[in-house]
Amino acid sequence: MSVATEEKRDLTAAALSHRGDRVFNRIITGCAFTALVVLAGITVFLGFQAFPVLQDQGISFVTTTAWDSFGTPPVYGIAGMLWGSLLLSVIALVIAVPVSLLLSIFLVFLAPKPVSKIFTNLIDLMAAIPSVIIGLWALYILQPTSVEWATLLNKYLGWIPLFDSNGNFIGSPFTAGIVLAIMMIPIVTSVTREVLGRTPPDLINASEALGCSMWTMLRYVALPYGRGGIVGGIMLGLGRALGETIAVFFVLKLVYDVNWFHILYSGGGSVATLIVAKFGDASGSLEQQVLLAAGFFLFAMTLIVNVIANLIVARTGRVKS
Amino acid sequence: MTTIIFDETRVTTLQQQTAQKPWAAKTGKWKAAVVLAVIIPLAITLALMFATDLPKALIMVVIYLPIQLIAGALAATATRGRKNALDAMIIVVAIGATILSLVVLVSVVWAIIAKGIPVLSGAFVSQNMTYISPATPLGYGGIGHAVIGTVLIVLISAVIAVPLGVATAVYITEVRGKAVPYVRFFVQAMSGVPSVVAGLFILTVFILTGVLQTSAFAGALAYAILMLPTVARTAEEVLKLVPEDLRTGALALGSTRARVVLQVVLPAAKTGIITAAILGLARVVGETAPLLLTVGFTDKTVVNPLTEPISALPSFIFTYVSSPYPDAVARAWGAALVLMILVTVLFVVTRILTSRRPGR
Repeated sequence: MSVATEEKRDLTAAALSHRGDRVFNRIITGCAFTALVVLAGITVFLGFQAFPVLQDQGISFVTTTAWDSFGTPPVYGIAGMLWGSLLLSVIALVIAVPVSLLLSIFLVFLAPKPVSKIFTNLIDLMAAIPSVIIGLWALYILQPTSVEWATLLNKYLGWIPLFDSNGNFIGSPFTAGIVLAIMMIPIVTSVTREVLGRTPPDLINASEALGCSMWTMLRYVALPYGRGGIVGGIMLGLGRALGETIAVFFVLKLVYDVNWFHILYSGGGSVATLIVAKFGDASGSLEQQVLLAAGFFLFAMTLIVNVIANLIVARTGRVKS
Repeated sequence: MTTIIFDETRVTTLQQQTAQKPWAAKTGKWKAAVVLAVIIPLAITLALMFATDLPKALIMVVIYLPIQLIAGALAATATRGRKNALDAMIIVVAIGATILSLVVLVSVVWAIIAKGIPVLSGAFVSQNMTYISPATPLGYGGIGHAVIGTVLIVLISAVIAVPLGVATAVYITEVRGKAVPYVRFFVQAMSGVPSVVAGLFILTVFILTGVLQTSAFAGALAYAILMLPTVARTAEEVLKLVPEDLRTGALALGSTRARVVLQVVLPAAKTGIITAAILGLARVVGETAPLLLTVGFTDKTVVNPLTEPISALPSFIFTYVSSPYPDAVARAWGAALVLMILVTVLFVVTRILTSRRPGR
């Protein structure tokens, strides 16, 4: 009985008298829930691994920086890594957000159509470059340049604690943040470009007729109009930055201690990179389980950021159309 | 014939007038100001670079950028009035940001080409690394096994993810069940799963439990998690473009819903579905983190996807970069070039397919 009512509810579009149709619909519906199954699977299985670790280590797992597999009892804390992920993301945001916004302003409002089209394709190609290649490039080409910059920053602005140095600029959060920014720029740009491009021409023409300069138009028409989409795009980029593993692995010296804000110090943290860096030589199942727990926290973090980002983008999209 | 009501020439002049913006006219004075505003800051900067030994990076940021901003503002004030000074500054930094991004792209591509080309040879793309030590000269050994590995893993994951992704899209656009908003939401959320987490998931579920060994199939499962959202979202867009008339027409001819989807809608969107599949391939082909956790590493050519560790291009690059031998690092650059060519080809194919009219 319940099956019959279920079908009546499901298929409002057309009465499915044909048996083949019912089978087809069930198969398709089943397949459509793969995404849910995978998300639930990740939560359950990684959560299942994380739970004993949290039980064993307590809250100190996320608040301390101890990492000793051979201690009695072994102690683990990923505070440095969690904070490191956030610090890297903030550095990346500080660089990537203005660049992406200016880039999309150029592509939408300033560049001639053909130039804009070519550049858009090039920026999209940038998004397609695999992270391992970005990492390889960052290690051999970017790192020397960014070390030079870091030296200059330290030399002229070293009196600000932010630009303090511990004598070595290699493997700093500064360089890793730049790498993340480079990976974020195409993602943020593709969203902001689209959002700015959807500003109604009527409004732009009206503001021009009122004698607005381009800046006034941007400030009072285009940017407020696309604000939601821009924020959403930035958060999508943030999600990507939090989860980025390989490119950071090449240019960041992993240290367990919390590097609060010394962005030029050699050494920082990143949860995603920790997992790849440590998994190969994880000593015993406990350390492996600890890394799985770290993965669980990474998953939770990125999921929250992404869900918020998508909700913002979806809401603004609906208002607009 | 003196009373011509509709005169084409007058219409065109009217159209021309509406297209004009008299306040934005590019007068001789304006052109001169722009040229001056570009040349003078450049000249000062170049002179400083040659005359002093200050670091070039410092000159660019501390001297060139402010001068260029001021020059732009002055030029705008001189020709368009003070109101436009800020506009000129925005134009300067916007062009600056664009150039900066393109410099990064060109630098990456140039580095790969310059360092990869010397390594590239017939032997490099066809041979494997069996019996090759890190110190062996570059003429011997190569990435043939990694290319085969990548193709194998990516194809298996496509076989898994493309049908599931298309089915998800069919659910959203054709079946239109009650759960459509939720399914959309889950697909969106799934697209944000970090690649390393996808690898960890497959590792905990299949490898640590002993169901699978580190193998191409395990890697393909991790890839499929990353590929599915891309395929589903693209396929959804494509299926929406199929005209409603085709569906109603087929239903009116008496076909069942299943037949409408399988024999009318999907064939009509064939090119789009292929595009979705290729976009999915391009999304995963360079992913490294999941491979490090699921497929292991080997020097020999492996075609068995189920029980043997296998090498792929991303994991090959990752392993050889970390080597202290210069030749091994050179091999990593060579592999990076091959991977980049692969990604670029996939990218260009999708662009060509999507630039054509949909549904054809």
